[in-house]
Amino acid sequence: MSVGVIGMWVLALVALGLCLRRSPVVARRAVAEAGTSLKRVAPVMLMALPMAAFVSELVPEGWAERWLGPESGALGILLATLAGSALPGGPFVAFPLVLGFLKSGAGPAQMVALISGWAVLGLHRTLSWELPILGARFVMLRLASSLALPFLAGMAAELLLPLFPGASLR
Amino acid sequence: MFRRHATFLVITALTLSAAVAVWMLRGRAAFFHALEATWGLIVTVAPSILGGLLLSAALRQLVPPGALARWMGAESGWRGLVVATAAGMAMPGGPVAAFPVVLVLAQAGADRGALIAFVLAWSLNGFQRILVWELPILGPDFAILRLICGLPLPVIAGLLARWLPIRWTMADAPALRDGAPVAGKPAP
Repeated sequence: MSVGVIGMWVLALVALGLCLRRSPVVARRAVAEAGTSLKRVAPVMLMALPMAAFVSELVPEGWAERWLGPESGALGILLATLAGSALPGGPFVAFPLVLGFLKSGAGPAQMVALISGWAVLGLHRTLSWELPILGARFVMLRLASSLALPFLAGMAAELLLPLFPGASLR
Repeated sequence: MFRRHATFLVITALTLSAAVAVWMLRGRAAFFHALEATWGLIVTVAPSILGGLLLSAALRQLVPPGALARWMGAESGWRGLVVATAAGMAMPGGPVAAFPVVLVLAQAGADRGALIAFVLAWSLNGFQRILVWELPILGPDFAILRLICGLPLPVIAGLLARWLPIRWTMADAPALRDGAPVAGKPAP
């Protein structure tokens, strides 16, 4: 079990302790909500994880490395941003897919750009939720103020990459 | 209810087609190799998911995101943007939950910069998504690197949104346009 996991459990138990101090009812509600979320997440995740493994078998040898590899630089970051914005679906699709790409040789900075592009520009989410609830002007305002940001995130990741040697997963 | 099952069905279809493709294009050995990798992944991911779900459920009881709206007005400066960013990160759940909260915040007095910062912080750095998906699947090094790169972006976007000449008021939201008028603030 890694340090990250242990740290998270410590935080979780501290937060649960704070709930308990407020009242046992609050703590019980927290545990119950965690259980409900687990029931919702577990089946999807058990289906999504094999997809990551299958995708990394399918990506042709050298493909991810050539277009999105650590050496692909700014162009790779731009490509990854575009790919991310076109990627449909929720986290259960995006994260296993990125895992598959990383395992077949994509660079971490490029994958930071892909996740950011998916999160910020994701057309699918914008069209099916943001537009009907908040309207076209809001979508315009938000896209205009955030269009360049996923690319910047990728470039920042490129600079910081030496500090996170474990990020490449290879 | 339907959406939940729709998600499961879509992901099942994707996984099954990937499995069939691996079997046909890469052969039996690659197929079983992938299944083995999956098992390893499940074993690594399970403890993080349980911890992450418990943490996010406990945090939700402690910090309701809507409580922060009155520090997010147009005169709140960059401090309001930081508060909006924090609220966005604390916001749990998917787009069904988050976009309506934007309306609640707008009604409580948040300006357009703060609303943009909120939406970006939720979609980029939502705590629950990081804990439940990103950290377990991609590991702490990648998750922290990505979070550091994403952390300043909502504030930048909020500053840009205040500066851009695109006005947005609640009256522009289709969700409110033909429904009951919002209490408190008349549409300008």
